[in-house]
Amino acid sequence: MSQPTKVALRKAQTKKGKVRFYLTLLVLSALYLVAILETEFKISSSQASPFTTLRRIFISPFTSMDYISQFPEYIGYMMETIAIAFAGGLVATLIAIPIAFLAARNISKEFSYIGKVILNAIRAIPELIFAIIFVAAVGIGPYAGVLAISINSVGMLGKLYAEVIESIDMSTIDAIRASGGNRLQAIWYGVLPQVLPEFSSYSIYRFEIDVRSSTVLGIVGAGGIGAPLILATYQRSWEDVGLILIVVIVFVSLIDILSGKIRKKLV
Amino acid sequence: MYPNGHQGLKNINLKINDGEFVVIVGMSGAGKSSLIRSINRMVTPTEGELLIDNENVLAFREKKLRQLRTNVGMVFQNYNLVKRMSVLRNVMSGRLGHTNTFRSLLGLFPQEDLQLAMNNLKRVGIAEKAYVRADQLSGGQQQRVSIARVLTQQPKVILADEPVASLDPPTSHRVMKDLRRVSKEDNLTTIVNLHFIDMAMEYADRIIGLRDGEVVFDGPISEVTEATFEEIYGRPIKDDDLIGSEEA
Repeated sequence: MSQPTKVALRKAQTKKGKVRFYLTLLVLSALYLVAILETEFKISSSQASPFTTLRRIFISPFTSMDYISQFPEYIGYMMETIAIAFAGGLVATLIAIPIAFLAARNISKEFSYIGKVILNAIRAIPELIFAIIFVAAVGIGPYAGVLAISINSVGMLGKLYAEVIESIDMSTIDAIRASGGNRLQAIWYGVLPQVLPEFSSYSIYRFEIDVRSSTVLGIVGAGGIGAPLILATYQRSWEDVGLILIVVIVFVSLIDILSGKIRKKLV
Repeated sequence: MYPNGHQGLKNINLKINDGEFVVIVGMSGAGKSSLIRSINRMVTPTEGELLIDNENVLAFREKKLRQLRTNVGMVFQNYNLVKRMSVLRNVMSGRLGHTNTFRSLLGLFPQEDLQLAMNNLKRVGIAEKAYVRADQLSGGQQQRVSIARVLTQQPKVILADEPVASLDPPTSHRVMKDLRRVSKEDNLTTIVNLHFIDMAMEYADRIIGLRDGEVVFDGPISEVTEATFEEIYGRPIKDDDLIGSEEA
């Protein structure tokens, strides 16, 4: 019986492949070396030690009644943030659905590029820029925040929705078209029932993201808990920063747990 | 003829009479589906004429086409139901061609249409499942739902494209029986694609045999013999071509 030739898991490497591998390795190491040498690893800001700052952020708020009594105020700001995120997410969902149908290849065929371009353009612009534009347009306050959040969310939701629509079973549309239904009826009775659970799941997920990002948007004056947060950091009032961060962490975690539970039930 | 140059059907010249129950048999790829889908223009033949009630449907544009399709119902191999909708909603979706778009979007179907749908579910024996989600039903029940849907459309013609190909033999027989019964009750012209010979013999009034896109047999059931099928299939008949009797 002859010995079978050994089978290697990987295809044998050619000489050219080896050369390419080591060349790439060399170039990448050189880049890392330059990056490390060029970066200054020097602490050059505040006099206070990082540990003192950390203690003031996360421990001090619980030690004095003065600080604890401020919690309700910041929870109020957090509620405003959540309200901004909710309103923004709701508006985004309503706007994203028609755009998603326009962008789905199986529904709008060659016109889907129009929808895709709209969605890509929205996603290319950072949220903070939208917030600054809307603060300039409608003034400081939560209204600007809602507008910024909703426009920005349309970009992501529209893309996710379009992908859901592209993955559906088209045979039900055939059935409705074959019985004389028009395009709108085919979408309403053939497509929507298939995609709605996924749509709501993505919307809730996006709401979760919106809560976090509307915290940041407050920094440019778009309402919510971001404004007191940025103010406190400017004043180096770390106890207040700590209070606010604790409120944000607790609420974001709660929303995360809740939305996870809801989404599990939906799909 | 398909755009890729493959000729699906050639020299088809058929006349199907009102109220007939016609079964088209032939091997896979013989052109059965193409033939049946041409009738409601789910595919459009490149040449020729197709007359329904003396109108050439190949010339129809969007609006006329929809009108045609409300009169020609279709039953599919894979049922094509929306699985997350209730049975009754699925049945009502057959009524969309008759319903004003705006009303249908709001779900405001006329009461008599709902009665009609419920009645048709009764006729195929699954009225008690009306509010169950379609994906909870077995294959045979789902195909009955799609028959109820087609009846609710109140068509003149029913096209059935391999309606029992995904079902087991006893269920197939029951579904075919239902289909034949309702189509006779409503005096509907019915055209069914099948590839099981014995089943075609049992339910058809008339058999059309297709081979390589050409009609090789066309005649009433009384003229059909085993030799006819050997001609259609181009080879001797094997056990695989038979589904077996209802008790199988």
